[in-house]
Amino acid sequence: MRDPARRLLLVLLLVCLAAPAARAELEDPALGTHVEVLDNGLTILALRDPTTPVVSFQVWVKAGSRDETRFTGIAHLFEHMMFKGSKNLGPEEHARYVEERGGNINAWTSNDETVYFENVTPDALPLVIDLEAERFANLVVTQEMLDAEREVVLEERRMRTEDSPQGRAFEALLATAFIAHPYRWPVIGWRSDVEQVTVEACQEFFDTYYAPNNLIVSVAGDFELEPTLAHVRRTFGAMAPAATIPRNPTVEPEQRGERRALVHFDVRAPVLAATWQAPPSGHPDGPALDVASGILSDGRSSRLYRRLVYQEQVALSTSTAWWELKDAGLFYAFASVRPGGSAAAVEAMVFEEVERLAREPVRAEELEKAQRKLEVHLVSGLETVHELGSRIANDWAYFGRIRPLAERLAAIEAVTADDVQRVARTYLVPARRSVVHVVPTPSPEGEAVPVEEAGS
Amino acid sequence: MRRAALAGLLLLTCAALACAAREPGPAADAIAADEPAQPVAGLPASDPPALLSPSPVPSVPPSAIPSWERPPPPIETGPIVDAERLHVATLENGLRVIVLADHRLPQVELGLAVRRGAASEPVAQAGLAGFLADLMERGAGDRDALALAETVDGLGASFGVAAGWDSIEVGVSGLSRDLVPLFGVLADLVRRPRLDPAEAEKVRAETLAALERAKDRPQTLASWHFSRAVYDGHRYGLPSEGTPETVAGLDAAVARAFHERMFVPGNAILYASGDLAAADLQALAREAFGSWPAAPVPEPGPPPPAQAPAARRIVVVDRPDLGQAQIVVGHEGIERTYEERVAVSLLNNVLGGGGFSSRLMQVIREREGLAYGVGSSFRLSRAAGPFLVSTATRVAEARRALDLLLAELAGIRERPPTADELAHAQTYAAGRFALGLETSRAMLGSLVDLDAYGLPLDGLDTYRARVAAVTPADVAREALARIHPERAAIVVVGPASELEPALADLGPVEVVKP
Repeated sequence: MRDPARRLLLVLLLVCLAAPAARAELEDPALGTHVEVLDNGLTILALRDPTTPVVSFQVWVKAGSRDETRFTGIAHLFEHMMFKGSKNLGPEEHARYVEERGGNINAWTSNDETVYFENVTPDALPLVIDLEAERFANLVVTQEMLDAEREVVLEERRMRTEDSPQGRAFEALLATAFIAHPYRWPVIGWRSDVEQVTVEACQEFFDTYYAPNNLIVSVAGDFELEPTLAHVRRTFGAMAPAATIPRNPTVEPEQRGERRALVHFDVRAPVLAATWQAPPSGHPDGPALDVASGILSDGRSSRLYRRLVYQEQVALSTSTAWWELKDAGLFYAFASVRPGGSAAAVEAMVFEEVERLAREPVRAEELEKAQRKLEVHLVSGLETVHELGSRIANDWAYFGRIRPLAERLAAIEAVTADDVQRVARTYLVPARRSVVHVVPTPSPEGEAVPVEEAGS
Repeated sequence: MRRAALAGLLLLTCAALACAAREPGPAADAIAADEPAQPVAGLPASDPPALLSPSPVPSVPPSAIPSWERPPPPIETGPIVDAERLHVATLENGLRVIVLADHRLPQVELGLAVRRGAASEPVAQAGLAGFLADLMERGAGDRDALALAETVDGLGASFGVAAGWDSIEVGVSGLSRDLVPLFGVLADLVRRPRLDPAEAEKVRAETLAALERAKDRPQTLASWHFSRAVYDGHRYGLPSEGTPETVAGLDAAVARAFHERMFVPGNAILYASGDLAAADLQALAREAFGSWPAAPVPEPGPPPPAQAPAARRIVVVDRPDLGQAQIVVGHEGIERTYEERVAVSLLNNVLGGGGFSSRLMQVIREREGLAYGVGSSFRLSRAAGPFLVSTATRVAEARRALDLLLAELAGIRERPPTADELAHAQTYAAGRFALGLETSRAMLGSLVDLDAYGLPLDGLDTYRARVAAVTPADVAREALARIHPERAAIVVVGPASELEPALADLGPVEVVKP
């Protein structure tokens, strides 16, 4: 019973026995994905799952804030501009047509990619393909639209970052943990840059990165394969490829010692945010870091929750995760300190628990519990066609292949107590650490304000 | 792992639309006036009947007419719940049992909800339902808090107890192979919570700390002060979590008494979805809950005044550090069971609940660039919850944004939704509704919500036809009856030194500390 893959298999056998009408086994639906690369370099991933009358259409652009050169935040601001009209459609008309059919339309930008998606009933899929092809081929960026949308993004920045203790902490943390790589700036960009982005810079970003050979089109759910493929070929296939897709050359240098930053804000519950330099996405140590994180913070019996929230009552919440990016990785720990409490005291306890992972092997039950939680997260992440479409596109963008569920389960199952101790000793060490505290602004008559503020 | 784990930490910034429209909603429990309980997701598994899986329309050949110039298809009005998968029963003691089978993934979701929550607390004990919920998580049956956590985590599962205005809900989810132990945990949580006095002390301290922390979120502050401005003196006038004063008086004995009154079988719905057989679940239910003695169902708390507030109130919550003013405007709304609720929901879609195309989004965000998000909603509860409009803009523009909000509220009365606007809202609502039921968890949640409010369980099947039947005259009538900008409460969170003078000519401004 220590083998999660076998456990899952057993689950499936039980399902078969208990409910003969049920699906015979949990097939990994992604294994049936149709993959096709067009002459212009565009990749199509098509995964049919007709059990629900919903289809998710996604376009993944392999460009994010790490690809910004002059204006930080341009990848995200540009994503907003994709809703502001094209040669044959006025501002927001695209969204209007999708919503008129009850569709769900949105987009997001991260450090590594920008993703546009529509989740719709099957009858609306041809429309969605036409709409997406239209804006990818014929986007129009005008000064007037850019100036209006810039204000919207600045409001988004105020809401998410400037007026939020967690937002402040996160921004300062990245700016502290990275000193050279573009991951050091926020996805939404620094305020001054967003204020000054030009139409020309937007056009250049579009021409450089929104080329078919930098795109993945993912379709998942209830649709007919051949007509849909033909439709994508006919529309997206007509776009001209870019000769090259340039990338920022900077590699983050090795960190050799702890870094710290302090942010003063009107905050009642101080924030502790810490991070350790860890390997990038796809690294073989990833599953052991996932397990380590689970032992620390997944569930009410996890070490951090139990000690800081439940027993010592010094924090209101704790979280940890291995955050896997394309060029680098971070293992982070966040804690929300009880109002009136000390971020330093919470920090000391978090670090003690992290160091304990390196000092002594985890117990077998703890290891297995964390593995099982990860297994359940993987299974429940297959619920919607949007999740399926995201999974295949994400895997293709990062690894150039779709990682079978069985492979991921096996990797989690293979993690040993020694592995957890080894990754803790390798990565979760003081020299690779960055620490941010967000604490109340001292009163004017108090001592001088420390000068280390790294956020904004 | 989990790139998603960081989404909450603002890594991913949504473009726009739906999420933007929802974000600024000050009340976390505000929902659009829509039939489903939650904006949701999910759907059937094996052998869906034809109506659940309409054949995809073949891709259209190239033609002179762009596909977007063709009108949307008519609203589908057929039933949406697969009767084969749904099993509803009532035990002799009055316990309702609702099961929705879905064998696509080897997981199960179990729960039990009682039909009373924070709205049934005495005002002086505001926060009691939430306090009880938190305390129930700290030990049940043979297990103390840590043993319970170990057991559930050991199954890779999760559990929680949560209080709403009209419910206290116990939920357990995990893999279907663990159905029996998971069901045992559920039964213990419901029938044998420990409600330990030492744990109660910890919960109270944690609740007080969380109330203080909540002031760090401008949206929460706006919501709290808006509730007070609208419903002063009624339970709705205080946060659902209570206040430091009311929470200070809560202990294990008070929680136990509340538990005994609320957790009676005639007041409860046991539900389950996922990879399970209805017969198995019914057997488990009889075994664990068949002996649960029937008892009187507690009365809900008194309703708030029909008009709230009676006259305009303006409140500024002073947060000098903020760069963005959080604005909430509104007044009383409608009950969950209000007969014309579908017309009200479509009216709300046109005004500010309908994604990117709503009037408020078009004016505040698209035309004026004043905000990332703006939205309107009716919080549907047993007794009428609030109708509210909310947004957030840079402090210097707060007055202009407020004037535009008020103008749109007046505008929807003077210029009620046109036939085109209504048609858009109808296709939007019907389509979103169907997408929202993609997961069984979501569909079951909607069914439980219907049952909790005594609405017919075919409400999901009839919803789209009811949407299609609404006329422009219906929404025009509801606009006049439901929207009253002249007496709306106005709450703005931000630096009072700038906000108070900006609002002074609208009426007396009450400036308060967070």
